[in-house]
Amino acid sequence: MAEAEKFMGSDNVEDILTKIENKSLKIESLIKPYKPIEAIKTALEGYPPQDEQCKFANWIGVRKALMAIKDVVGILRSLNPQYYDILMKYVYRGLSTGDRTTCDQCLKIHEKLTEKAGFGCILRSLADTVNTI
Amino acid sequence: MASTLRLYLTCIRNTLEAAMCLQNFPCQEVERHNKPEVELKTSPELLLNPVLICRNEAEKCLIETSINSIRISLKVKQADELENILAKKFLRFLSMRAEAFQVLRRKPVQGYDISFLITNYHCEELQKQKLIDFIVQFMEDIDKEISELKMSVSTRGRLVATEFLKQF
Repeated sequence: MAEAEKFMGSDNVEDILTKIENKSLKIESLIKPYKPIEAIKTALEGYPPQDEQCKFANWIGVRKALMAIKDVVGILRSLNPQYYDILMKYVYRGLSTGDRTTCDQCLKIHEKLTEKAGFGCILRSLADTVNTI
Repeated sequence: MASTLRLYLTCIRNTLEAAMCLQNFPCQEVERHNKPEVELKTSPELLLNPVLICRNEAEKCLIETSINSIRISLKVKQADELENILAKKFLRFLSMRAEAFQVLRRKPVQGYDISFLITNYHCEELQKQKLIDFIVQFMEDIDKEISELKMSVSTRGRLVATEFLKQF
């Protein structure tokens, strides 16, 4: 299961960092013409490998997509349910940063996401110790 | 301001609702012992990911869960030196009387002001919903209490100073 979730299957850290940077640029290019749904979908694709640097680089990109969301309910309605669990994990990562604006946005998303996805989503993000972000 | 407080408390309530699924689990290392696994942290398979929920730079809540216990640590808002001292004294007063609260921890976790330890035995005796209501209510009341204490200290200080300076 962990192998199937491995990001792109490459072992080289530099390669993965480059791919994550490309992903970040793609997310930015989707945010500018106001396409937050596509930005979020790109951001939530795949899990970063266990390396801290890669995770941090990946988080930066996802954070940009999360902060660009204005209509939380609309985004969640159009988002595929398979992404709910990954989104919840990123929301908790955002809440742990302590930065006021990030926390405000993440609290809003958390409330709406819990209403949509239920408590099981929260529990899966707590219980998943293998695929951490 | 009030809306972020509401969202913050809702988030904590939802997380506790999901995380407080405790069952009896005897100690794996020592026979005939039953210890709260969240405190010992000896077996990683018994622990869930700890979750840190921050409202801003000053206020946060750490929720650590394991199979038979959950530990909730709070850091309350302290705007200035006076609130710092009042919060420390008031929460120390409560922590010293942890026996009466049952779910309170005698010493807060490093970096936080107050901690709760809820075990499966508490969940069997007490209702889970009421426990969660208690914790959320506690968080609301703490802020009010400290504001009231600060106001009474300022009022007393002002009265004393006025009386004292009347003689000059």
